[in-house]
Amino acid sequence: MEMLNAEKTCWNCPAAILKGNVDFRSCGQSKEEIKKKMEENPDFQVVIECARRPELGHFEPSITFEQCPEWQETKYGLMLKNMRVMILGIDGYLGWALALKLCKIGCKVSGVDNYKRRDMVMEKGSQTAIPIPRMTDRIHAAKEHGYHINFRRIDIRKEINKLREFLQEVKPEAIVHYAEVPSAPYSMVDANHALDVQDNNTLGTLAILFAMKDIVPESSMIKLGTMGEYGAPLTGRPLFEGMFPADAILQWDNREWSLGGELTPRNPGSFYHVGKVQDTYNVYEACRYWWLRSYDVMQGVIYGVHTDEISKDKRLRTRFDFDEWFGTVINRFVAQAVLGIPLTIYGRGEQIRGFIGLDDAMQCMVRLICSPPEPGQYDVVNQISAVYRIADLAEAVAEVGEEFDLKVRIKRVENPRVEPDRHPMEVVSTKLEGEFGLKAKVRLKDEIRRMFELLTKPEIKKRLEEKKHVVDPRTRWNGDKKEMDVIEEYMPGTKKFESKLLQQIDRVDGHGKELSGIEEKREKKKA
Amino acid sequence: MVEGRKIIIGIDGVPFRILEELSDKGVMPNFKELRKDGVFKKMKSSLPEISSVSWSSIITGKNPGEHGIYGFTDIIPGTYTMSFPNYLNLKEKPFWVKQKEKKHVIINVPSTYPAKEINGFIVSGFVSLELKKAIQPQSYVHLINDMDYQIDVDSKKAHKSISMFLKNLFKVHEKRIELYRKLWTKINWNNFMLVFTGSDRLEHFLIDSYDNPDHEFHNSFLEYFKKIDDAIGEVNEKMNENDSLLMLSDHGMEKINYKINLNSYLEKEGFIKLGDKPQKRYNNLKKETKAFVLDPSRVYFNKTGRYPNGYVKKEDEENLAEELINSFKEFNINGKKIIQKIYKKEEIYHGKHLNLAPDLVLLPNSGYSLSGSIGKENIFEKPGKIIGMHTQPDAFLYVKKNENKNIVPKYPNVEDFNLILKKAT
Repeated sequence: MEMLNAEKTCWNCPAAILKGNVDFRSCGQSKEEIKKKMEENPDFQVVIECARRPELGHFEPSITFEQCPEWQETKYGLMLKNMRVMILGIDGYLGWALALKLCKIGCKVSGVDNYKRRDMVMEKGSQTAIPIPRMTDRIHAAKEHGYHINFRRIDIRKEINKLREFLQEVKPEAIVHYAEVPSAPYSMVDANHALDVQDNNTLGTLAILFAMKDIVPESSMIKLGTMGEYGAPLTGRPLFEGMFPADAILQWDNREWSLGGELTPRNPGSFYHVGKVQDTYNVYEACRYWWLRSYDVMQGVIYGVHTDEISKDKRLRTRFDFDEWFGTVINRFVAQAVLGIPLTIYGRGEQIRGFIGLDDAMQCMVRLICSPPEPGQYDVVNQISAVYRIADLAEAVAEVGEEFDLKVRIKRVENPRVEPDRHPMEVVSTKLEGEFGLKAKVRLKDEIRRMFELLTKPEIKKRLEEKKHVVDPRTRWNGDKKEMDVIEEYMPGTKKFESKLLQQIDRVDGHGKELSGIEEKREKKKA
Repeated sequence: MVEGRKIIIGIDGVPFRILEELSDKGVMPNFKELRKDGVFKKMKSSLPEISSVSWSSIITGKNPGEHGIYGFTDIIPGTYTMSFPNYLNLKEKPFWVKQKEKKHVIINVPSTYPAKEINGFIVSGFVSLELKKAIQPQSYVHLINDMDYQIDVDSKKAHKSISMFLKNLFKVHEKRIELYRKLWTKINWNNFMLVFTGSDRLEHFLIDSYDNPDHEFHNSFLEYFKKIDDAIGEVNEKMNENDSLLMLSDHGMEKINYKINLNSYLEKEGFIKLGDKPQKRYNNLKKETKAFVLDPSRVYFNKTGRYPNGYVKKEDEENLAEELINSFKEFNINGKKIIQKIYKKEEIYHGKHLNLAPDLVLLPNSGYSLSGSIGKENIFEKPGKIIGMHTQPDAFLYVKKNENKNIVPKYPNVEDFNLILKKAT
């Protein structure tokens, strides 16, 4: 098995103690300067200690992961033995699934949550379609399967000291930051909601960065950003994967792009997205000032219900939201299909987005945790496994729905958001496959099928029915709260769209083909 | 007060010659006086002749094969990563650990960082990275911090300005004196060890000023030794009749004519093959490499099973040793032989940790400073700011009272010191 991180060295390892050995963090020292010195002067020595192997004393940070007995082979690459990983937002849709996956591969998992997601969903009068036990019961159930999770109820924004104490106790070697409100519409409800989202997300992240600097500066932060930070540029500028200086001219596919004087191309589409962009800057600067290290994960729209671990036991399932605020598009389409209400697409429905299945997203996160950045390194990964047009996804859901005897209709409604609904989209996403070895496995229709199987179960369908009224969108970006006017309703397979996908990312074998067939089917039906 | 106390004064890197001459010339009158009633002779340093190895032998009375310290650097087995052995890697007990029932004050002994628990007090000498970790018991951290005590002179200053360096050198010395004075009375000790390390630093940068009265810094050089002599006189005054005084250095020092990059020589002779990584480090050694050198003069065979790109098989080691010895015997500059003597490890080392030892150790002829720098373009370099190099045969040893004469071997070496200390009266 190829271990892509085999050549990484102590320089990347969180067990390498820099503090007290290397004065990187002193004023005026830059990472580039040190690197240059190391290359130019063979006698310039950078010395570290190892938290895991104190017997080595002081040494150069050049032991490769392959050479170090603390790093062991896993299917995700070499991984630090019993690596201590803390998940902030462990009770959420992603946090819980990741916790179990990490436990399974031998990590020492700790987690923090303040149940804000549960509270917000309840506040909006909704509920998770798949019932999830309270945290204590979740942890007990996980324990029965051999998964041990060290949990604390902490609000990362308001209980900074508690968070610091917990960091001190656990000394995590990687921190996954999922502890943000994950909703654009929720941030657009009114002033209170916008303030709440940015307060929790942006200031919460800032608090974590300071705590990391003081307590675990060698740990890496894997921070959940969103592809939504980029927006959908009408110029067709590709969504580059990284952080670039103002004067960068970037090349992609034999073309050159200037970024027009911005530090990085960002075009957020809601106050939630604005907060995420601000996070990006905060994390970037913390890496620059304090030599923290981070991967900022620009995650595509997530969907799905399956990982091997959460599917093991009913009590281990992760939450599934389908309301207008917290449900993601494919998940919501499936819920609408099960409820027998038309799938709602906004405006023309020709918006193009990057997507990733739950299990693939978890795989990405594990791979990123395995291969930490260098001190001071801030890097961006565009975490998607495919790009789809929204209307095509509705077709795909309708098609699989038929297998469950569901007659699915599609409804175009006025777009509640301020966004182009027909635009080019080209995502540069090469790092996860190339540098981290991602092997995407989730096939769109298989996962939709899995969702139908689960959501059509009577006890879950009943929960959907109970909250049917919160599915259709009412939160408009202009502040109004009312049902959207319907532009048209149509049967799947009957509609032709003018825009073409510029790019067919095809990470899973046969994945792209699943949807490229949709055009042909449409043609057939028309005939 | 304890009876029969022992005081050890170390002066790092001072050759027998300088002390002899300075006391003869009256620059060090206190030491001159002491010489009248005591044994003063040359002492052989360790191989290689560097502080970490030598002081480790001095404080343990053991050979590097036993105490496990072969240099300031090592390669971590299974890697080409350079490590920097410290006190945690010392595998034999220093005298203050062996005599736990006695109280010790240990100031500034090199290679005792990080400090470990002690009956008494210790502040480590160079190389110490963090003052706090160099102090035991920790209850003294405040006192030492408040004094603005500094373990080592900042040698980086010498590269910028010698005056700035000297200013720092004298400040560090003053603080050391201040600390010894405080501890002399604060602790009811049996053994008191005080090492001056500024001497080594001073000689590395200014040894040429010693022999040249016209040199800009000649007087500063002498001034530093006067200050050491003042301290020696003060200590002697404070001693009781039954106390013993021992003094020593860990190696000698002389002027460099040429710096010799041994790895560049081995590369030229085909023993080293380097890869094309930008950083010039040992992990850039390619598989065809047969042997490489760690500072200053330790030759390691690139053995299979020991290094990731190991090349030399057990059965080929003997031949390689001969090949290298022959090559080094011929190694010369303008017809002048560079290497005086080549030792196989079994000839100079013994003990449990012989497996960690370099396969060969080289002793240079006078004026050739051997170096293990890797990836240097030239084999021979003229000295830069550092103009002094260590020497092996001429460290010094002094033991007060002539009746101690018989406890000092005819040709002492650093490993003998422990026993001498034990027997001194």
